[in-house]
Amino acid sequence: MAAPILQVKDLKTQFFTDDGVVKAVNGVSFDLYPGETLGIVGESGCGKSVTALSILRLVQEPGRIVNGQILFKGDDLLELSNEEMRELRGKDIAMIFQDPLSSLNPVLKVGFQVEEAMFAHDRVNKKNALSRAIELLKQVRIPAASSRVKDYPHQFSGGMRQRVMIAMGLANKPSILIADEPTTALDVTVQAQILELLRDLNRDTRTAIIMITHNMGVVAGLCQRVIVMYAGQIVEEGPVHQIFHNPQHPYTWSLLRSIPRLDSDRHDRLLSIEGLPPDLISPPRGCKFNPRCQFRIDRCLREDPPLLDVGPDQRAACWVTMDRALKHKEPAVGG
Amino acid sequence: MADRVPLVRVENAVKYFPAGLGASVKAVDGVSFEIYTGETLGLVGESGCGKSTLGRLITQLHPATSGNIFFEGIDLTKLSGEKLRQHRRQLQMIFQDPYSSLNPRMTVGDIIAEPLENFGMLRGKAKDKRVQELLKVVGLNPYFNNRYPHEFSGGQRQRIGIARALALRPKLIVSQILNLMQDLRNEFNLTYLFVAHDLSVVRHISDRVAVMYLGKIVEIADSVEIYRNPRHPYTKALLSSIPIPDPDIQAQRRVVSLAGEIPSPVNPPSGCRFHTRCPIARAPGICSETEPPLEEKGREHRAACHFSAEVPAAV
Repeated sequence: MAAPILQVKDLKTQFFTDDGVVKAVNGVSFDLYPGETLGIVGESGCGKSVTALSILRLVQEPGRIVNGQILFKGDDLLELSNEEMRELRGKDIAMIFQDPLSSLNPVLKVGFQVEEAMFAHDRVNKKNALSRAIELLKQVRIPAASSRVKDYPHQFSGGMRQRVMIAMGLANKPSILIADEPTTALDVTVQAQILELLRDLNRDTRTAIIMITHNMGVVAGLCQRVIVMYAGQIVEEGPVHQIFHNPQHPYTWSLLRSIPRLDSDRHDRLLSIEGLPPDLISPPRGCKFNPRCQFRIDRCLREDPPLLDVGPDQRAACWVTMDRALKHKEPAVGG
Repeated sequence: MADRVPLVRVENAVKYFPAGLGASVKAVDGVSFEIYTGETLGLVGESGCGKSTLGRLITQLHPATSGNIFFEGIDLTKLSGEKLRQHRRQLQMIFQDPYSSLNPRMTVGDIIAEPLENFGMLRGKAKDKRVQELLKVVGLNPYFNNRYPHEFSGGQRQRIGIARALALRPKLIVSQILNLMQDLRNEFNLTYLFVAHDLSVVRHISDRVAVMYLGKIVEIADSVEIYRNPRHPYTKALLSSIPIPDPDIQAQRRVVSLAGEIPSPVNPPSGCRFHTRCPIARAPGICSETEPPLEEKGREHRAACHFSAEVPAAV
């Protein structure tokens, strides 16, 4: 396998609030390989978005990256000057967000905003910029692209706006595209179109995609590899097939059983994970998931488990792991 | 399964909203169906299809532009004032946004007691007791009645909204909330119109499902049947768009991609409203000229499509 294009090493991002220090990302390490699609999943507040923002050094005050390395093609992004970082954002690593309306300037034409993404990095002259903008809008399948460059964001639907955002993200042919819940605000048929577009773009341009989402279905359809986060930490990572068919962390296992599936028996009881995610100012001792885990043992209360190999390319941070847990205990379902 | 007594019968309901210059948004445009006593009917469709407006017509939060809405055989559209108010207590809506639907300056106890006071149902200690019972029913501490909404999380606030809606022991609940309702509908003998955009959630709790597109019901059937054997191409597209959390199944599925976007409800397409995006439409032809009626395509299964036999079964 080729060398990773991005290596995140022991990343810690904390928010220094009046109530205390929120450990939003607490020792996250992972690699991203060229051209791959990596999903980062978890519930709200698990640190998935803060991880993404940390990669681009876009964490806002009172947040700060307090530890770690983010190696992009070997260079530590945390060592770059602000100027160098600005040059890299949008050129080598681009990002799209959940709400395309607030990411677009309402008083500027869409075409200009796509061109602007290119001017920021001096890749094109003014003449070519327009034709390149049209080409990009065509690439993201916006109909009548050559006339729509003159329209304003409010004249686009939610799905079309997200396409514009993707076009801007791709403007400088980045090697990594980070997508933070890009389809959450969209209807399902539009979501399906956007996911298909991302899949095709990944195949055609070999842009690596980091897909941040809470939707396991989205991950199943798009990603090759999956990272599951809980309370600021990675609890499991592995190839998509392993994560869905052979999850080893009880949190992953529970998450997959808590969502209604279109193809399941209608009256199957869904699993509900009792309790709430922990307070990240004073998280529980030991494994952060232990208060909500139906498989916990004494050790889980005392020691925080590291990520351990549990299968081919699969690692989980659990002292028990599901293979062993299910051998000894009939899981409780429903509630 | 529900016994087959319709609690609600909607006949040709229409709701237009004025959109200036004589134009109107045809939010609900001629919809007829029944909600049977004791059932959960899921009403699904994408943003702007008219599902929320239809829910508001049934609970009489909007007056219908035309058409009739019968509740236990009485036409609510013919009632007004005190008579309508007396029926209204049977119809409750639980609002989705738990922040804007609770008055921040009232205690939770007062919020839940307000409907009881409005209808002069209970007073004094009996009322307080009832409020505490309701808090318990929705899984909140009964002694939290003196707290204010801001002291609760979003999920807890939603439960407060549910308690308020149940206070008058309504027969019909219209809501976009899934949380708790599965348990409560049996306990309170509720008939439930569940309005949502996520078909996998709807299917999970509904006995029957109605699918809306651009102000019309395009298909209505038993929830297992509609999934196995959709008879409208829009239902089929909707089903195929919902990702299934299984990479192997996802790899095999084929998404029915819809061309373009939802047309404006101010100027809906002629004939079948779905024809501009339909993968099997004959247009120009019968689909762009004649509106297909919502008709029987199987047992308890109605769809509005000229070519419903051509819709492939679902995976």
